[in-house]
Amino acid sequence: MAGDKRAKLTNRIRRFRFERNEMTQQQLASQVGVTRQTIIALEAGKYVPSLLLALRIARAFDVSVEDVFQLEEEE
Amino acid sequence: MSASQKHAWFNLVVISVSLVAVGCLYPILGWKAHGALGFSGLLGLGPFFYRKRKGEVVLDERGNLIQQRSALLGYSIFWVVYVLTASLLSPFVYGIDGSVPVVVVQFSVFYAMVLFISVGSLATLIQHSRG
Repeated sequence: MAGDKRAKLTNRIRRFRFERNEMTQQQLASQVGVTRQTIIALEAGKYVPSLLLALRIARAFDVSVEDVFQLEEEE
Repeated sequence: MSASQKHAWFNLVVISVSLVAVGCLYPILGWKAHGALGFSGLLGLGPFFYRKRKGEVVLDERGNLIQQRSALLGYSIFWVVYVLTASLLSPFVYGIDGSVPVVVVQFSVFYAMVLFISVGSLATLIQHSRG
């Protein structure tokens, strides 16, 4: 059943940062309007962003949301 | 350290100083020592931590979420510990025809606030440290 599935959100923020001229966490944070601590929590997979923040992050890297965030479902 | 972490530390320091002051003065002044709880009025300076400087984000969606959870926890603990305890104990301590001293009512408000803010601040610090 779909309701029994557990989902985990993973992301490639760190990878995209390094691919964008080694953008710092602070630079990304300033660009998307959050604190550096939030970027740290996101990269560590400890915080699930709002849709608005996910879209802003994707826009900052000029990619789609699915390129940055992936939903991993486990039984 | 984010603005909400600084605010939480500030709250805990002010509350600790207030309670230590009450504890130190109590042997000398007795019940009047509770006047030292007035130091907790400094808690009102908390919003200054959220002054926005140019280009700096002081509070974002994660910070807001942490604050909401902390306030909710503080509120729950307040009801469970404070209201439950007070409601259970007051009939036994003061009896059905007894009278509650004004000073108890006065300072119970302060201690309720101290409990609420302390729990909320601790919860804020713990959530920030967990990422």
